[in-house]
Amino acid sequence: MKTIVLGIGNPILGDDGVGVHVVNELKKQINNPNITIDEAITGGMNLLDLILGYDKAIIVDAVKSNDGKNGEVKRIPLSSFSAMHSCNPHDVSLIEAVQMAKKMGENRIPQGIIVIGVMMKEIPCEFGEKLSKKIATAVPKAVEMTLNEIKKYEKS
Amino acid sequence: MKTVTIDPITRLEGHGKISIFLDAKGDVENAYLQIPELRGFERFAQGRRAEDMPQITSRICGVCPVAHHFASTKALDDAFNVEPPSAAKKLRELMYCGYFIYDHILHFYYLGAPDFVVGPDAPPAKRNVLGVIEKAGLEIGKEVIKHRAYGQKITAILGGKATHPVCGLPGGVSKSLSKDEVKEIEKMAKSTVEFAKFSLKLFDDIVLKNKNYVDLILSDPYTLKTYNMGLVDKNNKVNFYDGKIRVTDQKGKEFVKFDVKDYYKNIAEHVEEWSYVKFTYLDSIGWKGFRDGKESGIYRVGPLGRLNAAEGMATPLADKEYKRFYETLGGKAVNSTLAFHWARLIELLYAAERAMELVKDPEITSKNVRNPVGGAGEGFGVTEAARGTLIHHYKLDKNGLIDKANLIVATTNNAGAINMSVRDAAKGVIKKGKVNDGLLNMVEMAFRAYDPCFACATHTLPGGMPLEVDIYDHDKKLYKRLRQNL
Repeated sequence: MKTIVLGIGNPILGDDGVGVHVVNELKKQINNPNITIDEAITGGMNLLDLILGYDKAIIVDAVKSNDGKNGEVKRIPLSSFSAMHSCNPHDVSLIEAVQMAKKMGENRIPQGIIVIGVMMKEIPCEFGEKLSKKIATAVPKAVEMTLNEIKKYEKS
Repeated sequence: MKTVTIDPITRLEGHGKISIFLDAKGDVENAYLQIPELRGFERFAQGRRAEDMPQITSRICGVCPVAHHFASTKALDDAFNVEPPSAAKKLRELMYCGYFIYDHILHFYYLGAPDFVVGPDAPPAKRNVLGVIEKAGLEIGKEVIKHRAYGQKITAILGGKATHPVCGLPGGVSKSLSKDEVKEIEKMAKSTVEFAKFSLKLFDDIVLKNKNYVDLILSDPYTLKTYNMGLVDKNNKVNFYDGKIRVTDQKGKEFVKFDVKDYYKNIAEHVEEWSYVKFTYLDSIGWKGFRDGKESGIYRVGPLGRLNAAEGMATPLADKEYKRFYETLGGKAVNSTLAFHWARLIELLYAAERAMELVKDPEITSKNVRNPVGGAGEGFGVTEAARGTLIHHYKLDKNGLIDKANLIVATTNNAGAINMSVRDAAKGVIKKGKVNDGLLNMVEMAFRAYDPCFACATHTLPGGMPLEVDIYDHDKKLYKRLRQNL
């Protein structure tokens, strides 16, 4: 069983980089040849490229909440997103990329794609390397949930 | 006054929002596309080591990391007073071709083509890349995926990492190419030339042979007679990586040609209170509001801007297509916003052909890829991002730290024109307060053509992504809301 954990985000855009902060923590705690931990500043097709060939993919990212809540961490299977932003204005979303790849007969798509989402009221538009207080407190929670997710796969 | 708001924007994510203001009769008075720009870059950059800038700026935007990386690297060449060896320049340009290949393929097939292949009136659920493939066939879908990946692969081979390149250094690049890598790139470039030819034929068959589409392309709401801007080589041919900035007028005549060092003598910025984004214009003409024509300093950049600002393409097949483009659309300049899509495919062909030329150049495997740097000073760098001219300007202190940084990005260059295109498209579809359901897409098509780059935080996964149109009455009270969940 090969798993990839990807922290998504822009490390120079404040809270947007929370996924990167989470995987930096995970790197200190995990040392297992079957688990790849990496960061990426991309989405859609490029993101799909990075997770192809793994059995499971765990994506840690900022998620804009609909209810204005800030700093909660949620486990969201990719399939339950009704729609999603891609990382940039002109890529497709990961959901679309996966649908497209399936249609093309791609057989290396991970069986499970799970998002560990740090819910945010607003995704920042101001440059900076630090997380806000509220989002920083979400990091240990996101780390723990990711570790649980990994354990779940190991058992199955 | 009624206000119509489209927010957020489908298939062009970011935080863009369109507000349409109606007059007392219910016709469109004005329309704005609001783009909240990323803020505070100058402050963020201050005091950092100059040589970190190519890595930092490649993270500004998830769309154009390669463009920022090299605009920045070129600004550092200049700031450290060093000319890169000729092989290094060629390697940078080759990588740039890879970037254009994946970027243009992505834009055309995933974002532009749904409107033409599936149709502008098709239901949104069908108006996407899957709809395109349904209509064009699975085999074509495979080719699209394959060649987009080729573009990525080429940039990855040259850049270290495809998503944020690390190869550019002041005075050159960090890595030369092996003979095996050259062979691999050649194979991919060759295949992409064929794919680009095929894509142009597809555009012919599906768009140009359909009178309705040609009429739409040439229609008034999608026409804007602005100046055009782009980088050109010494023969005034389109170049993505280097050259002089050339501006042509509404008839395609040269208005001014300048070195990036003189950008602030030629380009000025206008501020509107409702927008974070500044609007650039030609200083010698001045800001005359959101209008086109010779008297207004607004200009366009990007594929159409570049073709209009040049006198041809530097590779044979693309140049042939260039000529056909102008013959078909009535000579220079082409002022049809939707012609951006066609121009994009011509550039795809050029990028693939140019990549072939570069890999066949014996110098491409040279190990001499970096020259030593001189003392720190001030530097200017310019490249063509896929969506238009991109300028980086740094002032360094004596320790090589950034004292001041200023960037002019492609979407800023296009911001004035995008707003006018949105307004004109809205005028075409909203009459006497009647808001047509097809409005959303017709308005979106107007700015999607520019492929604008909104504030790109890299968050991948927000929840629902509805398209919203808010209509307000005279007292700005909401009386109608159209929603479209995707």
